[in-house]
Amino acid sequence: MFDSVSAAALRSALDGLASRQRATADNIANINTPHYLAARVDFESALRDAVGSGSGVAGSTESRSTAPTREDGNNVDLDTETMSNLDTQLRYQLVSQAMSGKFSSVSLALKTS
Amino acid sequence: MALFDAFRASGSGMTLARKWMDAVGDNIANINNVSRTDEDAFRQRFIVAQADDYDGGHTAGSAGGVKVAGVAFGSGEGRLVYDPTNVLADDKGYVKLPDIDMNSQMGQLIVSQRAYQANAAVVERARASYEAAINIGAK
Repeated sequence: MFDSVSAAALRSALDGLASRQRATADNIANINTPHYLAARVDFESALRDAVGSGSGVAGSTESRSTAPTREDGNNVDLDTETMSNLDTQLRYQLVSQAMSGKFSSVSLALKTS
Repeated sequence: MALFDAFRASGSGMTLARKWMDAVGDNIANINNVSRTDEDAFRQRFIVAQADDYDGGHTAGSAGGVKVAGVAFGSGEGRLVYDPTNVLADDKGYVKLPDIDMNSQMGQLIVSQRAYQANAAVVERARASYEAAINIGAK
């Protein structure tokens, strides 16, 4: 029951979102570092394939942004990062709630006997 | 990847911004330092920022973030000012003042302050995320 596709997918989504949260924090910390290229985390495409193939377990991949750089060789854009940070936070809370809902239905099933 | 990594990355960004503000404060405090013409003038301080664990893939328990790689010093050449009443003046009446541009310092002060605020905002959002995770399964 705890290894169902949906539980594994929720867990993978939480992992991926936490990685993205960390990457955004890293990018904003390095907003003035010369020659720093923004980190990008992708897990959605791997997760989509994993759910499609019936496993639900997917990792995340990290890459460097290829966006044009500023004069100092840095390409962190504060607006993009702030929006990504906010978006990731809300998604994280949403997935946490879904996870909570999953556990509360399990605990309901345990009680009815 | 360790728990609460976003806090550590943002914390390092706040540390860097604070040290940068310290350096700017030091530069502005010494902007009117007078030296003899045969000595070096006050050298302005620069903070050297470097990304931490840039290509490490964050496997060794590092959250990335940023670190102060060192402090660089500006030129000690300074500029000569005619001030014959100064006790440090040479026989032609000149003293040396540091070559620090106040406008550049104020600009740096604003940029470092905004960087600090941006990092503090990330800490707050990361906190809300982690709180949601802590409450998984709570009634």
